Amino acid sequence: MSGSEGLWMLGTVPAALVATGLPAWIVLIGVTLGFAAGGVVTDALQMSLLTAMPARILGLLEHDLLQALPLYVLMGALLNHLPLAQTLFRAGSRALAPIGANASLAGLRLGVLLAPMNGSVGASAAMLSRTVQPRLDQSGMTPAKSAALVCVASTMGVVIPPSLVLILLGDAMMRAHTEAVNITGAAIRIINTQDVFAGALVPAGILLAFCIAITWWDARNATPAPTSAVTARDWLVAAITAAFIASLLAGVTLGYLYAVEAAAAGGVALFFYGVVTRSLTFDVLRAVLRDTMAVTGALFALLVAATMFTLIVRAFGTDRWVAAMLQQLPGGGIAAVFVVLPILALCALVLDAFELIFVVVPVVMPPLLTVVPAATWVAVLTLLILQASFLLPPFGYAVLMVRSRSPRPVPMRALTRALSPYLVAQFAVLTLILAAPGLVWQRNPTTLSSPAASEPASGDIGDSAPDPQFDLPPDDAAGKPAGKE
Amino acid sequence: MPTDDTGSSRSALRSFDRLLQQTTTSASILVLPVSLLLFLQWPLRDLGIGYSREANDLAQTLFALYVAVAITDATRRNSHLAADAFALRYPPRLRRLLMRIASVVVLAPWALFIVYASWPMVVQSVRQLESFPETYDPGYFIVKIALLLLALLILLQVILDAIRDGQATTQ
Repeated sequence: MSGSEGLWMLGTVPAALVATGLPAWIVLIGVTLGFAAGGVVTDALQMSLLTAMPARILGLLEHDLLQALPLYVLMGALLNHLPLAQTLFRAGSRALAPIGANASLAGLRLGVLLAPMNGSVGASAAMLSRTVQPRLDQSGMTPAKSAALVCVASTMGVVIPPSLVLILLGDAMMRAHTEAVNITGAAIRIINTQDVFAGALVPAGILLAFCIAITWWDARNATPAPTSAVTARDWLVAAITAAFIASLLAGVTLGYLYAVEAAAAGGVALFFYGVVTRSLTFDVLRAVLRDTMAVTGALFALLVAATMFTLIVRAFGTDRWVAAMLQQLPGGGIAAVFVVLPILALCALVLDAFELIFVVVPVVMPPLLTVVPAATWVAVLTLLILQASFLLPPFGYAVLMVRSRSPRPVPMRALTRALSPYLVAQFAVLTLILAAPGLVWQRNPTTLSSPAASEPASGDIGDSAPDPQFDLPPDDAAGKPAGKE
Repeated sequence: MPTDDTGSSRSALRSFDRLLQQTTTSASILVLPVSLLLFLQWPLRDLGIGYSREANDLAQTLFALYVAVAITDATRRNSHLAADAFALRYPPRLRRLLMRIASVVVLAPWALFIVYASWPMVVQSVRQLESFPETYDPGYFIVKIALLLLALLILLQVILDAIRDGQATTQ
């Protein structure tokens, strides 16, 4: 057993996914079973290892943070079926009318505003395609440009906390960091979901500023979109929604609220909005429940399969093998980052963000974090790559979703051209964060009092990036505020 | 003209399918109490009323049952994530064949293994009416039952699809 078997597994997955078109979770389980059987036959693995599979699934069923998953999906489904998004878009469009490009900016604003409350990029793309895209088309925008804007707006939730992708990545990074610390024995605090939330704030702000500038520049000469009447009730709903979302975001990011509770609060608030406005009829509720369960099931199936997959990858010793390879790289931590991030980006061409988080991150991140102790910085870089993965033509999830839902046909070449300024902006932010790790805000410094313990294994990343202080046990890190419960 | 045997087996299949459908539809409502319980944790804890851990544990059991059923629901609604941009060019018959082979060769043995490997753990937990390890609240055995339910429903759906496909092919 060399340890490289896990990399063969990892390489087989995208090939099998693309070649067969089968659901990703079935491909993952198939690859896992195939390699596990091979390992047992060649005595590289013990049969008893496979009996750990049920316990791993049980771990998912009792995982506190994963409770947020159906709640976010529920919020996304409610937003998709209730008229709240239209009300917010109307109010935003009206408010932005004096500065031109009102429909484009209102669409982007809607994506940003609802991002923390929405279930997934898919749900955002569906909602914005329905609510915003027809208005953008009315303002004279080409189909490619309006589709590009909807793509960008629907991925804003990836970097704006506390979105589902951020929560799941935060959890995956916490596990990866725990494993890395177990390997190195470094006395540093394990990062948690809130560290990732806080770390993403400044890069998300910079990216948002770029996107606003690009959107305004692109649409500054467009015909102002016709704004329908906005009633006093609409203004009130828009103001309350904005205040509610801002308070949820602040509560979670600053650690006053559990991420799961924030998601639950959003779901309950939307439910009552639907009841009070009588827009949540029995049929709508049935559709919401149906959509929520199907999407939750799809995500959870992927999670179950990825858990099996990483169990076998680790059993082959691939994590230790990759860690040894990374440690031998000339250039230390920074070289490891430049090896792993392009691998993530390459995987992103065929895998979507959830597959990356569940399958690739658990394999490549623990070894990377053994040589780069600035885990929050690495998490934020990963997040930026994940967001780009949604937008990268031709397989980006947002691109596929928006193209399939566009009222007019959108040629891929034209869409790629329309998306390119935003992709350049993303690349610029990624480069900026690579060059200036200090831009990643570290709420809780992570270094222990012992200077030796906090010293990075190699490279200069640990010196320049802010690093945490030991004040929370790893268990408390699952998106939970310190000192509660 | 179908014989009595094929007619009765079709009717049994339809009933089986309806049962699975009713199970997933009924379970879909669980997301509402999960949402409410997890929301209530916040005021229960911060206002000092108490019972927030109980609310969390109850939500945990409902969550486990919900996701256990949700995977089969996603299969029935064909909503699993797939990178099929290339495979969309395949003839539909080939795609159905691939799916059938994958279900029978991959999913069925895997689900069967999970049922087999988790059975002793689940039975022991149910016999003891196991409580949550940290809070000692009752009901942890339901989480373990959910594990078994998850694998069983996947297995039943594979069997249903395989029989249905087999019948369609023989016609």
